[in-house]
Amino acid sequence: MTGPAASAAVDALQAALAAENAAIFGYGVAGAFMTGSQRGTATVFWDEHKSARDTLASMLRGRGARPGAADAAYKMPFTVHDRHQAVALAAYLEDGVTAAYLGVVGATSQATLRRFGAGAMQRPAVRAAYWRGSAEAFPGLPAARKSR
Amino acid sequence: MTHPAGTTRRRVLGASVLAAAAALGASGCDPRAWPWATPPRPAPDVAVLHDVMAAEDALIAKYTAVIAAFPSLRGRMSPLLAQHREHLARLRAQLVIPPGASPSESAAATARSRVPRPRVPASQAGAVSYLRAAERGQAAALVRRLVSAPPSLAQLLASIGACEASHAALLGSAGDPR
Repeated sequence: MTGPAASAAVDALQAALAAENAAIFGYGVAGAFMTGSQRGTATVFWDEHKSARDTLASMLRGRGARPGAADAAYKMPFTVHDRHQAVALAAYLEDGVTAAYLGVVGATSQATLRRFGAGAMQRPAVRAAYWRGSAEAFPGLPAARKSR
Repeated sequence: MTHPAGTTRRRVLGASVLAAAAALGASGCDPRAWPWATPPRPAPDVAVLHDVMAAEDALIAKYTAVIAAFPSLRGRMSPLLAQHREHLARLRAQLVIPPGASPSESAAATARSRVPRPRVPASQAGAVSYLRAAERGQAAALVRRLVSAPPSLAQLLASIGACEASHAALLGSAGDPR
């Protein structure tokens, strides 16, 4: 695969990598306000994001692209000062990662890459459902389309 | 001011077309069917849609049967069942209906006729794992099915698959996500 199709796939993989990097940063913040088994779960999820990041970086290198670097810090979407807000942050991070993988599905018609994106987005959707205690009907799709 | 020549030409043209049509009708040679008499052949993504809709219908039937067998599960299962109904509605909205077909009826009828009667396990825990397995199966099946779909449908199927993976996790023991 070369040309614009390959470049769209690389862009989508870079976006997924950027989302994973942001989630890794965010879990560092969220985990700091959690205790006990909740913190244990956050640590497990954090590790899953790190391993997903490594997978994406190696996929990008395999396509001759240089994996984008993580930013030093990210602006919090809302104030995080307690356990409750930390859980909301974790769910927010997972939503962002879910949407990024959905972008991979839409950016390519290559079967392997599509399956990768669709399979990969199930993990953050499951983690978001864990934090919320409920599932979304259409994870990763924009809210405007959800309410239609 | 009139244009007798123009009028005449139009009249002659009109008459000859009518004559030709009449001759064709009478001649016995095969006239062409109206182009809209046969609905367009369904695109490949219509086949995918029908399959996925049938699978959603089957999941809905399983939830309904489990709730009927174990009414105490209603509170826990209703939100999940409602999301499957949302999936079905969104999938149905993707169908491009050929003119003359009765969309929702025929689609629903086809889907329903393919749904086997759910065999709910005898114990409540068994019924929950039965639904969990069904959700897992459908989440995995969607990842395979979306490969041949156009991009926007592929995304919708991927999203539904992610929802079903979440359902499977929520149906797991003690909220353990793994």
